[in-house]
Parts: sequence; C-alpha cells; structure tokens
Amino acid sequence: MFLRVVLAEVEKNFKQYFFGARVLFWALALPLGNGLYLYFLYLPFAKEQVNLEFGASSFTMDLAGFTLIGQLLYSFFTMMLLAGAAFDRERQQGTLESVLLSPANRSAILLGGALANALNHIWLLIGVVLSWVLFLNVNVFIGDFLALAASVTLSYLSIVSLGMCFEALFIHSRRGTMYGTMLQEPIMFLSGLIFPLQSMPRALLPFSYLLPLTFGLVAVRLTLLGGASVTEVATPLIALLLMTAVFLALSVWLIGYAERSAKAKATLTQF
Amino acid sequence: MPRQADFAVEVRELTREYISAKRSHLVGKKSTTIIRALDRVDFEIQDGELFGLLGPNGAGKTTTVKILCTLLEPTSGQAFVKGYDVVKEAKHVRRIVNMVAGGERMLYYRLTGRENLKYFADLYDVPKREVSPRVDELLELVGLADRADDEVEKYSKGMKQRLQVCRGLINDPQVLFLDEPTLGLDVNIARDIREFIRERIVREQGKTVLLTTHYMFEAEEMCDRVGFLSEGKLVALGKPDELKRRIPSGFSVEIFVTRLTDDIVEGIQRLENVEKLITTDYEGEAEGEKVDRLVIRVGSDKTVPEVLNYMSNKPCRIISVNLRGPTLEDLFMFYTGGK
Repeated sequence: MFLRVVLAEVEKNFKQYFFGARVLFWALALPLGNGLYLYFLYLPFAKEQVNLEFGASSFTMDLAGFTLIGQLLYSFFTMMLLAGAAFDRERQQGTLESVLLSPANRSAILLGGALANALNHIWLLIGVVLSWVLFLNVNVFIGDFLALAASVTLSYLSIVSLGMCFEALFIHSRRGTMYGTMLQEPIMFLSGLIFPLQSMPRALLPFSYLLPLTFGLVAVRLTLLGGASVTEVATPLIALLLMTAVFLALSVWLIGYAERSAKAKATLTQF
Repeated sequence: MPRQADFAVEVRELTREYISAKRSHLVGKKSTTIIRALDRVDFEIQDGELFGLLGPNGAGKTTTVKILCTLLEPTSGQAFVKGYDVVKEAKHVRRIVNMVAGGERMLYYRLTGRENLKYFADLYDVPKREVSPRVDELLELVGLADRADDEVEKYSKGMKQRLQVCRGLINDPQVLFLDEPTLGLDVNIARDIREFIRERIVREQGKTVLLTTHYMFEAEEMCDRVGFLSEGKLVALGKPDELKRRIPSGFSVEIFVTRLTDDIVEGIQRLENVEKLITTDYEGEAEGEKVDRLVIRVGSDKTVPEVLNYMSNKPCRIISVNLRGPTLEDLFMFYTGGK
C-alpha cells in the first residue's frame, strides 16, 4: 500500500506539474544560467581555482566545478521547496481535500511528491554536468568513487527528507509559498553555496550546520573535485545520515500535526 | 473497534465553531469572533437511505459533511459512520466513505479522466486486478467512456461533475456524501445526475447517501427523509410528507407578475392572513416585460381573492396564478424564515 501510494504520487506529479518542453527547458536553463553568472563573477578574483577548507584539511578545486555543484544542489533544494509549494496549489485546486479524504498513508504522499521532484532533477543534473564539462572544461578529480556515491546519495536523501518536512509545513499553512520564497535567500547564503564555508562569519556557522545543504555541498565538492576519501568526508556523511533520520521522523510527526491542525482550523481549502 | 451500529450515520450534539480573526489596521490588535456553524445537531441515517440535509447558504450543511468524512474536526459532540467515530477512528471511516462536492474542484486537470480515477484507486488501495474493470465500468455508467483518455481540462462542466461522481464511487463506499452535486449544472445534466444517484447508487447498489442541497425540488424528487438546518441548528427532521403535514396553514399561491414594485409587495404583506411572502426573479419575459414570481403562503383560501383583488387595483399585470399544496420550498420558508 505504501509503495503503491508513493508511485501513484510520483506519476501524478509528473503528469500534473512537469509537463511540456517549455517547463523542462526552464528547469534546465535557470540553474545553468545562475551557475554561469556566478562563474564569470568569480573568475577575475579566483583565477579558476578555489580553496575549500574542512576540518584540518584544505582542498584546492576548480572554480567552475565549485559553482556548478553549488547550483546543482541548490536547484535540487529549490525543487524540494517547490514540492512543498505543490500542496499550496492543491489547496487552491481543491484536490488537497480529495487526497486527504482517502485512507492513503500521509508519509507516502509526501515521499511521492518529493521523489517526483528528485527524479525530475536527475536528468537536469546530467544535462548541466555535460554542458559544463563540454563547454567549460571542469577539472574533475575523483579519488574515491565510493565516497562520491555516498556523498551524492546522502545529500539527495537528506534534502528529500527535508523536502518532506516542507511539504508537511505547507499543508499546515496557507502561506506556504510565501515562506518558501522567504527561506530561499538565507539558505543560499548560509549553506556555503556561493562562497567557501571558511569565509562565513563565525557567528553564523552554527546556522549553517543546521542545513543538510551545507554538508551535502562540502561532501560532493570534496569527493568530486578534491579527490577526498570516505575518511576525509566522514564528518559530513555522518551529519547527512543523522539529518536524514531526523528529518524523516520529523516529517512523519509534522504531517500528523499539520493535518490535525488544518482540520481543527478549517484550512484544508484556500477559500 | 466500531461500536454497535444501528445506523449508517449517527450524529450526536455535533457542534462546530469557527474563529474569525481580524485586525482593525495593519499593525493593530487582532479581534476574534466566534461563529457557531453547527449548534448541537442530532440526526441518524438508516442503511440504504437517501437523506437530504437542506438549508440556505451558511446553514452548516457543508460543515456537517466535512466532519462526517473526516475533513474537519467538531468543536464538541460526536459523529459515527457505520459505528466508527469520525475523530478517533478516522482511518476506518475514510475507507468506507467518499464525498462528491459541487463545482469544478477535486480533480487533476492535466490528467485524463481515466488517469484521475486510477490515481484515486491507488490511494484507496483498490485491488489492482479490479482497478481497470471498475474504472471502465464507472466511466461507462456516467457516459464518459468515449472521452476517458482526454485531459480533464478539456471536459465541460457537466463532464467534470460526472467524473467527480466516478471518483466518489471508486472505492465502492458504503456511505456517500454529496455536497451540492448539481451546483451550476445545466438542467438536463443535473437531472441525469439526480437519476443516476437515486436509481443506480441508492436503489440498485443499496448505498447510503447524504445529500446537501438548497434546491428544494431536488430534495423533494430524491430524498427519503430530510433535515432542515438553519443558522447551524437542525430545525426539522422527517419524511417530506410528514413534515408538510406539520406546517400549520393550508396552501400557497404562486403568482407570475410583471411590473411588480416594492410598494405592491409591502401592500400584499399587510393583508390579513398572508403568512409569508417571497419574491424570486423568474427567468422569463411576457410581452417584453420582466416577469417576477411571488410565492405567498396563506392561512385561509378566502385570502387568495383578496390578494388578487388588491393586485388588480395596482399597476402590475398578473400573468398566471397557481394554487398548490405545501412543497419542500414551503417547508424551507417555514423553517428557515424564507432566508
């Protein structure tokens, strides 16, 4: 039953929201455009190399790759916010009520919505990586494929689980889309997406470490561009694993709370 | 575990309050108002019964339906569907009920009709081998088989509503809630849907149906029993014929008239034995003039000539006069004060 609902949600999301060449073109073009913008912004200062420090280690990596990974993971994170915002649309369409009228497992509904966005991001990831490698000659340096696979997988899982929390929050509030937009800029700043984490003001670092995006960016950048091994990225990988578990548990609690609260306050419909 | 279920639906002292918060200005203090949408409502619905919940807009009909299908929590009181408590055993209730609302909501517009039904079949965990035959059967039943693979956004309003009825039946519910299912539909389509609900869903399949409507003729045509809600209170409950016998006066007179003015209406209201009067816009013309419809409930048959005599001395023109026994519309006026 759980898996069936997840698959039904994925299929519905693809048909209802990711339709047509125009939508897919902009999904590709926007992060690519942002990445190019950042690359050429940094180029005069960074001389095509950027230094990323993590713990006691220091890694030098390709600037284009640094900004590319930042944009890719950020666009993935944004897609999770969009997965949450989809519930706002469902509220307006009146379909949220018809979904919650059913006995379907609520976590399966959230997971299906988040997975649909995650799957939609994979082809985008392939497209962007290919474009950048072909046109900008990103110097990839992979020292440990296992470390890279673990970093990418855990980054995705942690952001998907956070996405499920966003979805639950957006069911709870009728201003979900507004909160989603408000969250974008601070998260972009705090996660170390635009600049290396060592440049972040010390007072803000604790907030950075609350975001899975921060650890995901470190792990993927170090393993894809810095040649880091599993041992060298053990800390961000453990942090991502813990965050995935916490966010999954939190999403289960949040969806229950959000549904109860929406029924008590009569906010399942927009009008 | 469900409690012993003597009824398909049982509602006890059901109360629902909404809190409306307003600010006097942008940074002002919030003031809250409590609106009581349902006030200690009690009723039961028998198995296989088509029960109508009637009342004007804002009477609490939709609130009742939403509580019964677990989309809203009551402030106090209890409700049971097939013995299951709608709050404490909501998961069980959701398996055996479904709801169809009027309007064009509750469907995914970029999915086809068939895809919509298959999606909801998955949410209800309909056995996989039964999904395709059931979807085909339902689409056939409502006459959408030939448009099943078109996107819903290409459907007309009536087709969307028929698809909604299919969605409401996809889990083969034991109790079906219909919240103004014919709202805004063409006469022919509304009649087809009414017939489908009465003949196929209730008579043939034996399902229990709770219908809310403010179309009195619809309730009169369809319902075994009705309840009248007015300002959140259940003011009458019973079979339509029994309720009609309860209202004290004999009959109503329906008059179609042109050139009706407020002065004339007030004059009629002042006549002795005129108990209640409502005017409605009638969609028709007589010799290029707009026709109004007056329904006057009178306490004595002697009052009718008095009304006609009064009107004939005024500048209005009477087109036709019908005398009739009490209808649900009269009951509606009686119990809800003609709101």
